[in-house]
Amino acid sequence: MKKERSALTFRRGDAVAIAGVILFALALMGYYLFFFSAGEASVARIYQEGQVVRELRLDRDVEFVLEGDFRNVVTVQDGKIAITESDCPGADCVHSGWISRPGRSIVCLPNRVEIRLEGGELTDDDVDAVVQ
Amino acid sequence: MKRKGIALVLALLTALGMNLAQANTAKKRFQASYLDLFDTVTSILGYETDEEAFQKVTAEIYDELLICDHLYDIYHEYPDLVNLCTINAHPGEALEVDQRIIDLLLVAREADQFSGHRMDVTLGAVLRIWHEARENGINHPESAYVPDLAELKAAKEHTGFDLLEIDAENCTVKLLDPETSLDVGALGKGYAVQRVCERLPEGYLLSVGGNVVATGPKPDGSPWVVGVQDPEGRGEGYLHKVNLVKGAVVTSGDYQRLYEVDGKAYHHIIDPETLFPGEKWRGVTVITEDSGLADAMSTSLFLMEQEEGQQLLDQMGAVAMWIGKDGKQLFSPGYEAYIKP
Repeated sequence: MKKERSALTFRRGDAVAIAGVILFALALMGYYLFFFSAGEASVARIYQEGQVVRELRLDRDVEFVLEGDFRNVVTVQDGKIAITESDCPGADCVHSGWISRPGRSIVCLPNRVEIRLEGGELTDDDVDAVVQ
Repeated sequence: MKRKGIALVLALLTALGMNLAQANTAKKRFQASYLDLFDTVTSILGYETDEEAFQKVTAEIYDELLICDHLYDIYHEYPDLVNLCTINAHPGEALEVDQRIIDLLLVAREADQFSGHRMDVTLGAVLRIWHEARENGINHPESAYVPDLAELKAAKEHTGFDLLEIDAENCTVKLLDPETSLDVGALGKGYAVQRVCERLPEGYLLSVGGNVVATGPKPDGSPWVVGVQDPEGRGEGYLHKVNLVKGAVVTSGDYQRLYEVDGKAYHHIIDPETLFPGEKWRGVTVITEDSGLADAMSTSLFLMEQEEGQQLLDQMGAVAMWIGKDGKQLFSPGYEAYIKP
């Protein structure tokens, strides 16, 4: 009888257990916030002929050339990416402008290149597709 | 007491574990794209439990679209396949064709009628002249030229659905004039996408060259969001966004597939009346449940005055937005209800 009642009282072991659970929950929350935080797309993945040829983040400005049947100049600036120069016929890829949001992509059909922004959490402002 | 504390931790961990397990069986978003179909970009968005399930679906979509791409191709022939290019090369012969060609041509005949012959797939002889001029203008801007009107008029003589014999029963097609040729243009890919979508589960969004079709809402019940590109803008500049649950959104515009001669731009939507690129609108966006006809409708509306276009929309149960030459937007009744606030 006496023993059972004492089991209902709060003891140090309980405090440790509760603290442990809370710490675990906080750690989990931190993990999700860190890896799935809203905002800019986390990575630009560049495909050529269907293969990933380069991966980069948009937080550092850079410019480089993608050689193929044609020559695309890819520029990253202020968290955005674009094909800024191309010798492909029509240069549709250059005309498609700058992108920065998850899921968006720029394509150069003649050079078999796709730049796709992957990862990053979609927000209410984002689109799933574009008609043009 | 210690045991009770441990029990509490275990209970919480179990609850957490169940949550994680549930998260694992919940559907996740996947994306795939292809650059080798219909001479444009195809992108597939879908929700599946794992990547393997998604890849199984995308492989089926790809295979079906590839066959349709080959069947509807007017520029290349393929081994052991009678396609539109074969038909064009063998006028006067009744050729046995794949059912998918018959089905497409029957839809095309319907489009020819409701568009008042503006969306006419027998216009190949005229469109070929423009195609050559455009390819030359894009690849060699220094020698860009505008097709000769007399030549276009002569080609026009060899167009019209009365020159095409479709025998649905025997699955044969025959061109009755040696100069007549078929060019299904955007109608082919629109119809192919429609066919594929009929067999897809809900929660998929297909975009083939900007022809966007949704098979049903996302798993959480929310609609897909489609950005309508601003003709003046680039990148992520949209006129507005529309909510799409099931059906298609398609735009026809004067700012695509351009080439220039003496500073004037020539786009690819040819008006069968003037035999020159349509000049009534900058662009027209159509939203409709019947995605197989969405392309035919946006092309037709692009070549019609607003009033006639509205009649067509009423007839088809669709809505549209027109962008005038002055950049002003006009909405058909019901379009604005799709705009994402």
